[in-house]
Amino acid sequence: MASVFSGAPPQGGPGYSFTQTPRAAPSGERQHGFYPYTDNGGSTLGISGADFTILAGDTRSTSGYNINTRYAPKLFKIGGEGPDNKGAQIVLSVVGFAADGDALKERLDTIVKMYKYQHGKNMTVSACAQRLSHILYNKRFFPYYVHAILGGLDEEGKGALYSYDPVGSYEREQCRAAGAAASLIMPFLDNQVNFKNQYMPGSGTGHNLQARQAQPLPQNDVEELVRDAFTSAVERHIEVGDGLQMMIITRDGIAETFTPLKKD
Amino acid sequence: MVGKDCVAIACDLRLGMQALTVSNNFPKIFSYGDVYLGLTGLATDVSTVSDLFRYKVNMYRLREERNISPQTMANLVSSSLYERRFGPYFVSPVIAGLNQTTGKPFICGFDSIGCIDFAKDFIVSGTASDQLFGTCEGLWEPDLVSA
Amino acid sequence: MNHLPQAWGRPRDDVYGAYDHSHFQTSGPIQHTQSPIVTGTSVVAAKFKDGVVIAADNLASYGSLARFTDVKRLRKFNDQVVVGFGGDVSDMQYLDRLLNSLDIRENYSSSETALNAKNLHTYLAKVMYKRRSDFNPLWNHLLIAGLDGEDKPFLASADLLGTTFTSPTLATGFGAHLAQPILRRTLPDDASVEDVDQETAVKLVKEAMKVLFYRDARSMDRYSIAVITKTGVELHEDEKLENQSWQFAEQIRGYGTQVN
Repeated sequence: MASVFSGAPPQGGPGYSFTQTPRAAPSGERQHGFYPYTDNGGSTLGISGADFTILAGDTRSTSGYNINTRYAPKLFKIGGEGPDNKGAQIVLSVVGFAADGDALKERLDTIVKMYKYQHGKNMTVSACAQRLSHILYNKRFFPYYVHAILGGLDEEGKGALYSYDPVGSYEREQCRAAGAAASLIMPFLDNQVNFKNQYMPGSGTGHNLQARQAQPLPQNDVEELVRDAFTSAVERHIEVGDGLQMMIITRDGIAETFTPLKKD
Repeated sequence: MVGKDCVAIACDLRLGMQALTVSNNFPKIFSYGDVYLGLTGLATDVSTVSDLFRYKVNMYRLREERNISPQTMANLVSSSLYERRFGPYFVSPVIAGLNQTTGKPFICGFDSIGCIDFAKDFIVSGTASDQLFGTCEGLWEPDLVSA
Repeated sequence: MNHLPQAWGRPRDDVYGAYDHSHFQTSGPIQHTQSPIVTGTSVVAAKFKDGVVIAADNLASYGSLARFTDVKRLRKFNDQVVVGFGGDVSDMQYLDRLLNSLDIRENYSSSETALNAKNLHTYLAKVMYKRRSDFNPLWNHLLIAGLDGEDKPFLASADLLGTTFTSPTLATGFGAHLAQPILRRTLPDDASVEDVDQETAVKLVKEAMKVLFYRDARSMDRYSIAVITKTGVELHEDEKLENQSWQFAEQIRGYGTQVN
């Protein structure tokens, strides 16, 4: 019996002191039950013209079948002065995981503002576009889960539009749709902006048909196309709706418009 | 697609396995007298189902001594697909035709087990259905005519 | 009797085996929250022309067990901000401590203006986003209610992923399904906020709390409600649901012992 109540720590066991390091640690990889991404739905769209660029996005934010809010902008002015980006000449649109989108916007905005502060001149759209690609690629192995589109005017005053994948591949384009309804909007744009599958009437049959040449569209036509693209997307995609925000970048600055969309 | 006193149905001729194109001459629309049937999906089932309906429509013509109407065809397709409810043909059919008595345009689509979608405007089906939904919804309007 | 005080009140090694000290370990794999443990259910809130109403019940559940029945899930930050917490209660208490230290820092600083609801929302959203980016989330869905820099009503949300949004009405958890449709009937858009007064908004939120109690199995009939206006925060932490009507229960058939 004496050995049972000796009071001394058993041989080989841990001492009574809390500071003593324990012997056995739980081993084996623990499974992660946390997925750090979600999809907030919605769609964005950009079209560049001869002397303007239009970016557009719906304002619905979703989680699954829930509507978080009917007004959550996906378009952001980049650069300019102060928190309202006064005098900005670049617009960024992001669609996908909204929290990453906001984080990306804030990083690019600070960088463009710091550029002006350090160099005393505005960042060009092409420089900003390349910088955005680098920001995205810097998180190659934990990406910003967004499809970004950057719009502005190039050094010659022509409309400039850049589109990105989540890890930073980018390309300058005439038009691009992104997000939930991209697959619905993009072929419509191919047809109406780049005149794909359109032929000159009476130019022959079969392979003799002459393709209709694409040319930069006037601003009003493009605004109408954007509205049509979104009203159509609203009909067929449940994550798109509530409102349409547009930003039109010209040499006079950025004009912003809001058009209501169906809320169902 | 429905137009003014007319219907149109079209398909591409591609046969593929995911990204690999196997053939460039594989029609997916079949004529059954006054009715057209479009079939997308598993190619072997496209052939099987199109032949099955050729048989069924021919038998109908022999018994009834008249062509099958688009509406009747729709119900025939629906019930034939639902017969295979738990081992379906992997096809999503589309029907287009003109009503035999009124001449009114008629189109409809189905899922693979026969649920009918009576649309007033257009039906799309297949691997590019999202893209087709987008273009149709953007470009379609009532009473379109052929160019 | 053991004379070594370290051993007092501790399971005897000779009876229970060696004590597992791994809990006190400082090295080795760090454990992150993979799922919430003790949880609070919905928070609901609605704007009105002069401010915001926010409410949450006083229950903290342990799975399906109604474990703690007097847990206040609304936290007054100052006289223009209230934060409502849904989700894990321990993470809520961590955030509460974080807000306390932030408040103390702010009060000692030379800053002229107090932090408003907009500021606090930005802060909390960044805390949440940082933690999710570290794969160590704070398992909460927060509603931040109060006034912005221009003394206008402000209501916004931040969740465990760092997702943020604002709306005239907001509800977390079950409330997003059950309460939001009711709240949106009165407050469909920003314009309608101007047509709603405090009394209507409070009645509306109380109605939403009642519906949640009817159908949310993790809810209770004691709740906290706060109204934030220019005149300050009016917080009641022990309200009881009133005017309940269980008449609809008689109409329900087919559950439990009553089959037909």
